[in-house]
Amino acid sequence: MAEPCSPAPKSLAQQGACGEGAAVEMDPVEFTLRKRLPRKLPKRRNDVYVNMKTDFRAQLARCQKLLDGGGQREICVHGLGLAINRAINIALQLQAASQGALQLAANTSTVELVDDLEPEEAGLGGAEPLTHTRNNSAIHIKVYYPDPQ
Amino acid sequence: MSGAKHRMRSKKMRNQPSSVTYSTPGRQNGGESSHSGRRYDQTPQGRGHGPPPSGSQYQCGGWVRGHYPGGNVKGSPGYAQELPRYITASTFARARASETKAMLKAVTKTTGSCHVFGALPKHMRRRAMSHNTKRLPARLREGAQKMLEKSQRAGQKEKKEQSKSKSRKARRRHGNLLLEFNRRQRKNVWLETHIWHAKRFHMVKRWGYSLGDRPTYKCYRACYRAMSDYCLLQDMSYHCCVELQGQEGALLQALSRLTSAETGTTFAAALCLSGRRQGSVVLYRADQYPAQPLGPALFLWRPRTEGSDHRQLWIWIHPSMKQDLLPELQAVCLCSEAVPPPVPVPLPAPDPAPGPEQTAGEDQPTGRKRKRGDEGAVPAKKILGDGTRSPTTPVTWQSDSTGIVIHDLTMEIVRYRLIGPLSHSVLTDALIPASSCEEASKTEPSCFWWPEHCKEESNVSLHREQADVFSLLRGLSSTGEIPAGSVLGLTVDDPRLNIPGKKSKVEPVVQQLPGASPLWLCVPGGGEEDRVRALRLQGVPEQCCQSSLWDQAVRDNVTHNRITEQELNRMKSELLVPGSRLSPTPLQGRVPVLLVQQPGKRAGLERASWGAGWDLLLPKGWGMAFWVPLVYRGVRVAGLQEALKHSQNKGAPHFPHDFPDCPAGVRFQQEQEAELLDRYRRRPPAKRPNYIKHGCLAPFRCPWQQLAEEWEMIWREGEEGDLPSPPPGLQPQLREEATALQTQEVTSQPQSAVAVLRNRKALFTLSAWCRQTYQRHQRPSVRSAVPLMQPKQLSSESAAALHTAHPRRLVWVRVTLLKKGRPGLHAMICIPTVEDVQMLQRDRACCGPLEPRHADHFKSRVKQRRKSQKTAGASLKADSKPPDSGSAPSLTVGAEHGSAPSLTVGAEHGSAPSLTVGAEPGSAPSLTVGAEPGSAPSLTLGLWPDPLPSVTSHCTRVTLGWVTQGDFALSAGCGEALGLVSLTGLLHTLPNQPSDLKGLVLLRNPGSLQYRFAKISIEA
Repeated sequence: MAEPCSPAPKSLAQQGACGEGAAVEMDPVEFTLRKRLPRKLPKRRNDVYVNMKTDFRAQLARCQKLLDGGGQREICVHGLGLAINRAINIALQLQAASQGALQLAANTSTVELVDDLEPEEAGLGGAEPLTHTRNNSAIHIKVYYPDPQ
Repeated sequence: MSGAKHRMRSKKMRNQPSSVTYSTPGRQNGGESSHSGRRYDQTPQGRGHGPPPSGSQYQCGGWVRGHYPGGNVKGSPGYAQELPRYITASTFARARASETKAMLKAVTKTTGSCHVFGALPKHMRRRAMSHNTKRLPARLREGAQKMLEKSQRAGQKEKKEQSKSKSRKARRRHGNLLLEFNRRQRKNVWLETHIWHAKRFHMVKRWGYSLGDRPTYKCYRACYRAMSDYCLLQDMSYHCCVELQGQEGALLQALSRLTSAETGTTFAAALCLSGRRQGSVVLYRADQYPAQPLGPALFLWRPRTEGSDHRQLWIWIHPSMKQDLLPELQAVCLCSEAVPPPVPVPLPAPDPAPGPEQTAGEDQPTGRKRKRGDEGAVPAKKILGDGTRSPTTPVTWQSDSTGIVIHDLTMEIVRYRLIGPLSHSVLTDALIPASSCEEASKTEPSCFWWPEHCKEESNVSLHREQADVFSLLRGLSSTGEIPAGSVLGLTVDDPRLNIPGKKSKVEPVVQQLPGASPLWLCVPGGGEEDRVRALRLQGVPEQCCQSSLWDQAVRDNVTHNRITEQELNRMKSELLVPGSRLSPTPLQGRVPVLLVQQPGKRAGLERASWGAGWDLLLPKGWGMAFWVPLVYRGVRVAGLQEALKHSQNKGAPHFPHDFPDCPAGVRFQQEQEAELLDRYRRRPPAKRPNYIKHGCLAPFRCPWQQLAEEWEMIWREGEEGDLPSPPPGLQPQLREEATALQTQEVTSQPQSAVAVLRNRKALFTLSAWCRQTYQRHQRPSVRSAVPLMQPKQLSSESAAALHTAHPRRLVWVRVTLLKKGRPGLHAMICIPTVEDVQMLQRDRACCGPLEPRHADHFKSRVKQRRKSQKTAGASLKADSKPPDSGSAPSLTVGAEHGSAPSLTVGAEHGSAPSLTVGAEPGSAPSLTVGAEPGSAPSLTLGLWPDPLPSVTSHCTRVTLGWVTQGDFALSAGCGEALGLVSLTGLLHTLPNQPSDLKGLVLLRNPGSLQYRFAKISIEA
């Protein structure tokens, strides 16, 4: 499950003129906010997507296992939004546990997320559903054994 | 004697005289209690064998073989019975005579299996004797011959019954097979994939269809994995499509009476009306909202054509609600006038074209030994569509006043549902946009629709656009990424042409996010990426939603010009390079389809858009042509059970299982109860749970009505008691409204006054109230403070207001178990007591309280009844009356006994009431409610008889509602269930719960005494 998103999408009731104040002038129609899932990223064997739902120790152990017994020279730990802290934490813990054998290379990026705003009362002439995009930061940490040269 | 021995003996003695009796009426020798005169002989009577010692006695009752212990012991003290002083010679002689006669009879009669070689000693028997009488000794041959003939005759008789059908080979011949299939389709409608399913699925006959229930192979987990990782395919063609045509205004006006804006979208929702999205609504009887719902429906508008107000609308419904909806639609559209269906004209074969079917039919190889019995008869045609309907049944209704035409398109359109994140990959792999036709063919007229369609330049450009959008789908990484309910029209080539040689899974095209990380992600072409992004944001452009599938003429043309499998195979075999693609593509194979995105899980907090997928709509006749290519893409195929699991994992109510307020749901629950009851009664009482002892009143059905009414009473008592009344200015008016509502409900439909709460605002409020519960890893959400419309704070006043606005409602809740446990069907949702909550707060890991075992006060009555029935039956037998009920030692007394005033009922009615009522009222005061013996006609051991006592307060924990579907959820990793609770009860409970344990309930399965902690969440 490549869901690096931290808080699970939540449906809230919001007043109409929310978001970036689009040019649409609306009556106070109520909207339901539905967040779509972030785009799925490629999932290789050495990709670990960190989320906030799974236990931290389990995620750490999974990464450790990939590096120790999984035969991977490098793994990528991805975290999105709230999970960035946790991704960093995992990477640092891995490095600390390896007594300096592991090296880290971090990259940040921006992920575009899509929200749907659905009008609550969709009658005749009701508001159209809106789509918003917002950005969220993400981190991709490569944890690897440096090549012996 | 062991069972087998006993059976053997009884078999042997079947034809023997059972006992030798010689009645001596009124001649009992002094003090003799015995019935035969054979008892008192101590005179040496067995002359044949060695004379027994004078003291020995044969005290044989009947035919007893072997020695008696102490038989040879002189003067054995074992026989305390006094010996007779004298015997009467004549009686004695007569008794012996009868014995001898019986003996002779026994000797002459053949025993047991009556095989003649039973007369042979074992070492002389041979197996071959049974079919070759010559192997027998001559003296036995005659009898054996007779037996042989007899058995042959019996065999012939059996064969004669079968001989109506021909040999298997003849039966399997194509024409005959087709006839047979057509005959079998007359009762239940077969889907086009029926034969495919029947080979692989357990089929059930339901709602007038023959449907695949579940695969015969084990696939529970595999289907779940397919749903969440790959793609699961289901044939949904049994869903009925109703087409409405008319002016947009008139249609909307008519349909607005069936829906309410309070429940969410209506038919008039802007995006749906433009035809870009599929919408879903809950339909009610005309003007009856919020009471009397009919069920959920999906609807799809045909995109507008320029300059015309004429619209076309498809409403997709479950077949079990069609009978309710159609009259309602006719009523609101004023369409009472049935248009007689056109006389079935034999469709003209496509003669101007090189009709391949025709030629194939004519130049049959002459060498074939196929004889048509009568050439004049119309050769059997494969039934497409609904085979049960007679051709004269009207399917179209129109109205003169509104101009609306209702058309029943049941079985006219095939609908396949693909569930799973990679369903778009499967579709893009299996379907290829139709190749446009050559310039040359554009000029000449053609009987196929596609060349005609391509004559207009706008159509060609539209097709190109659609094909473009379709190819963009490849760039998605999950089906849930595009807006929910998007519609895409398309024309595709015959998918049978590019069927892969081997069944294999489709690998998704891995597309990377640009700039996500330059370390390992490559940046694809920017233009493509932008268009995919636009697709994700805006969905399919409006003009691309148009499809020729909406056109009846095109549908018919495509259906009737399908290349048969046989013809296609012949063409493939004539290819120069075997296995290469057929080119040019035959002109018949252009099929208009509609692709409709199905949103996955939308409500709730977790697993958003789980189980999203695509629906594929095809013209009829093309079902198998698309099915097999899809299956060859490695998808799993699901039946009804898997569809149920899908909606269970989605947390969505499944129709008709979870709609107890709809007529179809009521019918379903009645059927389900009958089935469960039947299954329960088939087991012996010791091997099935005694639900009375488990404190479960109704394990097979849920008395929603009673529940709602009882909670209403509890609420009223509470209100009158200690609850401070809401502001006086507000209350009378509200209450008035409520009572008005109630009376209206009661008068309009007395049998089902309960309804499920579907008011979105009320659900939002409730959902927010329940959400303050303790959840793992959940921080106090910052975001929930943002929205301007914060739901009212939970208090007894606001709860009371909500209750008054929605009296006697049920609410769908999602129940998640905190610890272990697997919720079953009709598990009880109960309110924890204060001690329970304290227990949980002390120890998070505790399992939950136990229900003390209840006493079964009905057991004695059931036994009593059974006993009295037996005696009554015996007496009936003695009177040589036809024993109707007493003969069968059934455990249950069927309800139909009451109707037939037989002797048994009368007898036990006289005896039973006095006994039970006299014995029990002291011990069980609760019993008096339901213990009127006259009113309980059916008693089953372990089930509470019909007038149920209070369902809420029967157990130690107060019942709030029941679970309608529950299982261990593989997606959540714990037991999850969907249930209904009484809104009144919920509102009564919530304010009293501690804020960190809002929505905490107890769940108990019907066959268990263990309560388990669970939390409920309302997903809006």
